[in-house]
Amino acid sequence: MALSKEDLKKAIVEKATKSPKPQLYIKDFYACDPDAKPREIKNIANEMVREGLLMFWSSGSTTMYAIPSRIQNEEK
Amino acid sequence: MAKHETPLLDELEKGPWPSFVTDLKQQAETKPEVWDILGQLELSFKDRITHWKHGGIVGVFGYGGGIVGRYSDVPKQFPGVEHFHTVRIAQPSGLYYSTENLRALMDLWEKYGSGVTNMHGSTGDMIFLGTRTENLEPLFWDLTHDLKQDLGGSGSNLRTPSCCLGESRCEWACFDAQEVCNSLTQRYQDEIHRPAFPYKFKFKFSACPNDCVAAIARSDFSVIGTWKDNIRIDQAAVQKYIANDPEYPSNGGSHKGRDWGPFDIQAEVIDLCPTQCMWMEGNELKIDDSECTRCMHCINVLPRALRPGLQKGASILIGAKAPILDGAQFSTLVVPFVEVNKENDFEEVVDVIEKVWDWWMEVGKNRERVGETMQRVGLPTFLSVMEVEPMPQHVKEPRSNPYVFWKEEEVEGGWDRDIEEYRRRHAA
Repeated sequence: MALSKEDLKKAIVEKATKSPKPQLYIKDFYACDPDAKPREIKNIANEMVREGLLMFWSSGSTTMYAIPSRIQNEEK
Repeated sequence: MAKHETPLLDELEKGPWPSFVTDLKQQAETKPEVWDILGQLELSFKDRITHWKHGGIVGVFGYGGGIVGRYSDVPKQFPGVEHFHTVRIAQPSGLYYSTENLRALMDLWEKYGSGVTNMHGSTGDMIFLGTRTENLEPLFWDLTHDLKQDLGGSGSNLRTPSCCLGESRCEWACFDAQEVCNSLTQRYQDEIHRPAFPYKFKFKFSACPNDCVAAIARSDFSVIGTWKDNIRIDQAAVQKYIANDPEYPSNGGSHKGRDWGPFDIQAEVIDLCPTQCMWMEGNELKIDDSECTRCMHCINVLPRALRPGLQKGASILIGAKAPILDGAQFSTLVVPFVEVNKENDFEEVVDVIEKVWDWWMEVGKNRERVGETMQRVGLPTFLSVMEVEPMPQHVKEPRSNPYVFWKEEEVEGGWDRDIEEYRRRHAA
């Protein structure tokens, strides 16, 4: 990884905040640090879900990530 | 008393076969919300469009899979299915349940959900159909703490691995399917519960080439038992079959319900061998094992006379999927033989799995199954990634499917290429 863990988290939050659509695929975060391995990005994204910085959105067949405040809750 | 008129659904009760409509009506007697499933489905039949909203943010804390959000888009009309989430319960290896466990699972689902189940989903999980969001965490707590069971995989996760009965009941098992299935389920907990991949990824383990879990058709990573050496032949038992000894019924007696006439080894075994590698020499059955493709037909028909060899392991095939995008495809044979050895934590299988994942996570597009990625880049590229030498068994149809290309340095003497001369015969 070229970025530190904290810088990578910031880059992911920025990407997820500025993206046109609220839901992003895990691959969309790869560009945040091209030197990081896909599994490293995945592990950090999942850590961010545990911390509440990101949220999972699942269609059932595919899972995406989103900033909680941007995601539409179907129940509201 | 029916809550909704369902004349269209009622038609589905009129055939001689079991009807899910009848089952749902029966369930609605104790779970009134089930009437709303019938009502909404009747409306969908009339409108010719689904009234389910699919997907969402529901789940249980710490998990990115196992719950599939479902909502009605006509909740005022059918409040019982306003939320109707699906819960995937990881199945035990080989689908061995005790009746006590099944009762406990059903009690749990009657408590927290609609009581409607799907046994089992195509990934292999037990599927609980229909609960509300507020019931998910209590259900998950009871499932994991009281029943010591877990949710299965969904979304872009590793899906719940599944396997056949293997060595627990089957004499043809070439490896311990349940052991490797359970071991890899434990090893890859993170990949099962949290999204890791461009799309779904399924393991299935069949301990012999009969492939009872249809791994070759239903899994991205199919591990199918095979053997290296020769089929074991008991010539005395072959003679018993030829003599139509009643203690030696063909196919283990599975077709006994009808008189098929006397057993004919030539017509029923030798002539049906797909590679024609069997023949009789006097009274002896002979097999040219180098030509055997492990179709299992002869072993299935003559189970007391023929058995798999002793050098057992598995073939690894990669890339099966159902027909959502390009159409259904079977897995492609990639690694002809690996040892499936508990003593080394199945390292030969794990090495292949992780090589595939490392490549696919980088190269696979969003929502692209690994079989589609393989098709997109071509088999030669995939084989070189996997560090596997191409071999004749990789070629599905010679000439119509020429995906092994020789490089000049691989051919003794090389060749001179005259592109102008070639273009005189083949226009660009």
